[in-house]
Amino acid sequence: MVRSRVATLGVAAVLLAACGGNGAETAQKKTELTLYNDKGAWSKYFEEMGAASKQSIGLSMKPTGYTDSAQYQAFIKASFRTNVKPDLFTWQTGGMLQEIVKQKQVADTTAVWQEAIKAGDLSQDLAPYYTIDGKQYCVPMNVAYWGMFYNKKIFDEHDLKPPATWEDLVKIAETLKQHDVKAFYHTSVLFSFVWFEQIMAGMDPDLYDRLSTGQAKYTDPGVVAVMEKWKELIDAGYFMNPGDKTDPGDVLKTGKAAMVSFGTWFNTSMTQRDMKAGADYGFFVIPNVNASLPKTSMIFESGPLCSLAKAADPDASMKYLKWWTTAEAQKKWAGIRGDVSANPKVTIEDEALGQVTKDAGSGEYRLVNRYFEATPPPILTAALDGFSKFVTEPGTYMEVLETIQKEADEYWSTHQ
Amino acid sequence: MTRAPILGRFRHGYVAPAALLVAGLLYAPFVWTAYLSLTRYDGLAPPEWAGLANFAKLFDDPVLLSSAGNTLIWVVGTMALPVGLGLLVAVLSYDIRGGAWYRVPFMLPYALSGAGLAMVWSPVLSHGGVANLLLGVDTAFLQKAPHNTIAMLLVWTWQQLGVNTLLFVVGLQSIPKGPIEAARLDGASGWRLFRHVIWPLMRPLTAVVVGLALVASLKTFDIVWVLTQGGPGRNSETLAVTMYKETFVAGDYGYGSTVAVALTVVAGLASYLYLKRQVR
Amino acid sequence: MIRRAVLVVLGLIWLGPTYLLIVNASRPAESYDPARAWAPPGDFALLDNFARALEGADLGPSLASTALYSVVSPALGVLIGALAGYTIVVLRLRHGFWWFLLLFGGTVFPSQMLLVPLFVGYSDAGLYDSRLGMILIYTAINVPLAAFVLRNFYSGVAFSIFEAARMDGASTWRVFWRIYLPLATSALAAVFILEFTFIWNDLIFGLTLTQTAEVRPVMTALAGLMTDVYAGTPVPVGLAAGLVVSLPTVVLFLATQRLFARGLSLGSV
Repeated sequence: MVRSRVATLGVAAVLLAACGGNGAETAQKKTELTLYNDKGAWSKYFEEMGAASKQSIGLSMKPTGYTDSAQYQAFIKASFRTNVKPDLFTWQTGGMLQEIVKQKQVADTTAVWQEAIKAGDLSQDLAPYYTIDGKQYCVPMNVAYWGMFYNKKIFDEHDLKPPATWEDLVKIAETLKQHDVKAFYHTSVLFSFVWFEQIMAGMDPDLYDRLSTGQAKYTDPGVVAVMEKWKELIDAGYFMNPGDKTDPGDVLKTGKAAMVSFGTWFNTSMTQRDMKAGADYGFFVIPNVNASLPKTSMIFESGPLCSLAKAADPDASMKYLKWWTTAEAQKKWAGIRGDVSANPKVTIEDEALGQVTKDAGSGEYRLVNRYFEATPPPILTAALDGFSKFVTEPGTYMEVLETIQKEADEYWSTHQ
Repeated sequence: MTRAPILGRFRHGYVAPAALLVAGLLYAPFVWTAYLSLTRYDGLAPPEWAGLANFAKLFDDPVLLSSAGNTLIWVVGTMALPVGLGLLVAVLSYDIRGGAWYRVPFMLPYALSGAGLAMVWSPVLSHGGVANLLLGVDTAFLQKAPHNTIAMLLVWTWQQLGVNTLLFVVGLQSIPKGPIEAARLDGASGWRLFRHVIWPLMRPLTAVVVGLALVASLKTFDIVWVLTQGGPGRNSETLAVTMYKETFVAGDYGYGSTVAVALTVVAGLASYLYLKRQVR
Repeated sequence: MIRRAVLVVLGLIWLGPTYLLIVNASRPAESYDPARAWAPPGDFALLDNFARALEGADLGPSLASTALYSVVSPALGVLIGALAGYTIVVLRLRHGFWWFLLLFGGTVFPSQMLLVPLFVGYSDAGLYDSRLGMILIYTAINVPLAAFVLRNFYSGVAFSIFEAARMDGASTWRVFWRIYLPLATSALAAVFILEFTFIWNDLIFGLTLTQTAEVRPVMTALAGLMTDVYAGTPVPVGLAAGLVVSLPTVVLFLATQRLFARGLSLGSV
């Protein structure tokens, strides 16, 4: 590799005195695994899991956390060609996973999946997100369902109930507006895609799927209709200012907006702020815009935990992934974070979230892969920028869609 | 060279450690980036040779124009505010009793990390934030261009001023007392003393501050990344942010490297032209 | 008098955001309201917030490493850079300007682009995840700055000082070590402060080139607390984390204030 040579040369030149690499690389038996992840803030939780696994299967685990996912992904990709190989690492489903599987880097977990599904530790519904060309790769590190967190006190004050239909939701927003309360939160930084995916999944989930595989265009009438619907809500004055940089947790707590749409992990923000589920805040699944759809669409996100085909000790890594899916491990993992689990056997203390997980597991909803994972990175980058422009200047939606489509055209012309 | 003996014979040995460290750990890795700028590369599959295609795209990319414009605002603004005001604070404080303590408020922000900086300033610049309250306006400072770049420039001034002041103070203190005393005897004081005696004598350190600020402002990244990520709609991107986004976020290593090369050439050329006049 | 007045006014403006930082880091986490961010806190919860921030971040082993990097690397960088500056200016190295440009060129590269090749090179050379590797890269980053400052600083020093010392029979190294280095205390200290702060707050190199907790810089977990939405950290706790992390740098600032007081002027040499 040219890259290695150039850099090595430089490093070697600096060292002068040879610092011989003792990279004796043979298959070794590991008793401690490293888990590289882009959730630096979760180090404490990972460490607890490491202690638990040591007790239960004699394999301990230490996390190596990153804080910037873009940099993290670049690092992991680069590591494939070096002798620094993570035993375990977190990743993203969708195009990102496909990419590294195509390069034959990721260990096949089909056996783990089959067993776990048989034992009831994983749900069949999850498998498609981890399946590439008929085989499974990685296991779910976390799952989250997206819906609406709402400020219970504000809802009570105005005699409002979680909506059953889209019309109800709009009516709630209108009522709040009459009382000078902003209904919805949105932002121009990173999470600018939330309302786009939500409205689209509720209007035409098939179109959403086609869009993410390049079979539909961002300039198609169905997509334009989504933007117009979104704009309608913004123009009606239901959204708070996208330039408000308040942490969404504080937005909901202080009632700057009555509703904030996020994944179930947002629960952590609530509990960290001493908010009580059921008393201070609640959670509901957002109804479809198009009432005639057979199932309610629910945005779903799952982050994989993977191991490499050429891991230092492939058996140990696989053993760990297997343990990770068990009810014992998942009970702990969900419990310490106050979040939901990929294992249907794990019951969740939080009532509303528990119900959602149960319903999702029993096929009540149409799960829609989150936009962030569903969209290839170059298109995603253009789209996040586009939506952030849109929320600031809603009149520009056609221009925004055209810009995204331009990037999509370029991408799909080289990726079938 | 008749001076050779007095200057010693081991001169290259003295400069070697510095040159080797810099060449080995900073130049060498960049060679890889320069090579990538001529390829199509996703960070995973082997790079494919692309010739100058990335550079052609560079000149055709409307975003690059706005990034370059924002970067220019950063360069000019940095010279005016963190550097200019830094000089003012240094000149006001360097020879008064307890001057060091007057400078403490300006040094404190420098200790803050990028993430900390964002946490302090986001609520200030937010819509409905502290700045809105103080100024009695109703603006989201980080949304519209070029306001967002200017707002971030002010935050940058808040953080960086102290360092520039510190370097200016070092420069002011290194001035021999002799010439100043002499000028004072000649009746020079205040502005005239500064303009004609002090300013020329502190030039070496002024060149340092300006030279460093020039390169740093061309490479402006962290503060934009933590406050706006270059948005909304890419309107606050600088060249370095565009480079980062293309490379790591969009996964287009080839094009991102091309932006990096362009940025490096601009920064290198600018500093060469400046240093040639100031340092030689 | 006017000078002091201007300084005080400017200083107060600068302290405004610092005030916000401290006030909100001292607020009980659950009583934070962005609309009243400027108001003094009812209860003083700074220590609780510190504790909460540190609880999530196991700082023990990495604290020592970070301290090592942020002291040793700037010290080495300053020394190596100063030596280079001295050689170029005082010893009048041939083509000195080009040597200087070579060193200064090290600051021109966008550091984000160095990460991946550095990582690959480090893993090949066996430097990945080693303290030596970290010290090397941090030193390399610091050398150009030190060389620049000291080169220019020494250009203002009368050559007669050098000549006199050489006439007395001192070697060029001895002149550097005993005369030029002590002469530049304030410049060295300024560079040291800059570099210490950079390394102490650095995330990108530390994260990419290390793996085990004993070698990693201290910032990871704390930075994650501040930036990761998945962490759901309340603002006061995040600010407390930022404050904790900044403390060593602030202490360094205050401890070195003396060096920048008037009276160390070259005029007195």
